[in-house]
Amino acid sequence: MTDDAFLRALDLPRTNGELVFEEPWQARALGMGVVALAELDVGAVEWRDALAEAIERHGHDPDEDPARAYYAAWVDALERVVASRA
Amino acid sequence: MHDHDHHHDHDHDGHHHNPRPASPEELRAQALEALLIEKGIVTSDAIDAVIDRYVNDVGPQNGARVVARAWSDPAYRERLLRDGTAAIGELGYAGDEGDTMIVVENTPTVHNVIVCTLCSCYPWPVLGLPPTWYKSAPYRARVVAEPRAVLSEFGVELPADVEVRVWDSTAEVRYLVLPMRPADTDGLSEEELATLVTRDSMIGTGLPLAPAAA
Repeated sequence: MTDDAFLRALDLPRTNGELVFEEPWQARALGMGVVALAELDVGAVEWRDALAEAIERHGHDPDEDPARAYYAAWVDALERVVASRA
Repeated sequence: MHDHDHHHDHDHDGHHHNPRPASPEELRAQALEALLIEKGIVTSDAIDAVIDRYVNDVGPQNGARVVARAWSDPAYRERLLRDGTAAIGELGYAGDEGDTMIVVENTPTVHNVIVCTLCSCYPWPVLGLPPTWYKSAPYRARVVAEPRAVLSEFGVELPADVEVRVWDSTAEVRYLVLPMRPADTDGLSEEELATLVTRDSMIGTGLPLAPAAA
């Protein structure tokens, strides 16, 4: 499964091995990303870089829920990757 | 996943109906999803399928089923220890990351722990994605140099006469720990037993839950 290799390369928020979502939209954002990146043929390295940049832009707020911060950056990165392919 | 049911609170035209006001992040995600659907890049059904697969299908529960079967069925346990790959395959779990699976059994005198000292090789088909600490440099180095100290930090205190064996995973060989069946579980079904099997107990950094705590 390409999806497996793809997600394995990422450091998704987890507890006891299970994905952690603070709110349902975060699980949807993950699913949307997996589908869109496969459809747009975005490779794991390109995505990891885009995500790392988005996480950097988002900044670190110790009071913010880590899953929220991660998936906010995820959506930001996905927007940019989609825009770059348009 | 405890909030799984909430994943289905959307309908299939991209609009969400949550009782609370949506956060800016959520609105942004919804807008992007609507755009991607409009462009024909994603469909709601495809997103649902991915969510179901990653949130519900792959994860330590696969390994927990393997362990519970081994606890319940001595013949399966024997096959599992003899040829982990084949026995795990019997339950339908296989994948590129699990090509050669070796199952190491905890006993009253031996406690096993798995690590990947070089990177983050992990028995993905049975345990899902590795936890962050498994990939961390301190765990990878210290579990080899001072396994008892590391186990103690995970809350696992072993009697002094128990031998600790550390197994270094590679790209070709992945290990899975078969923990000891907890006491007072004689009447439990395989399904009930599986709920006692934690991810960490199959890495060796934890023990299965006691029946009352499950």
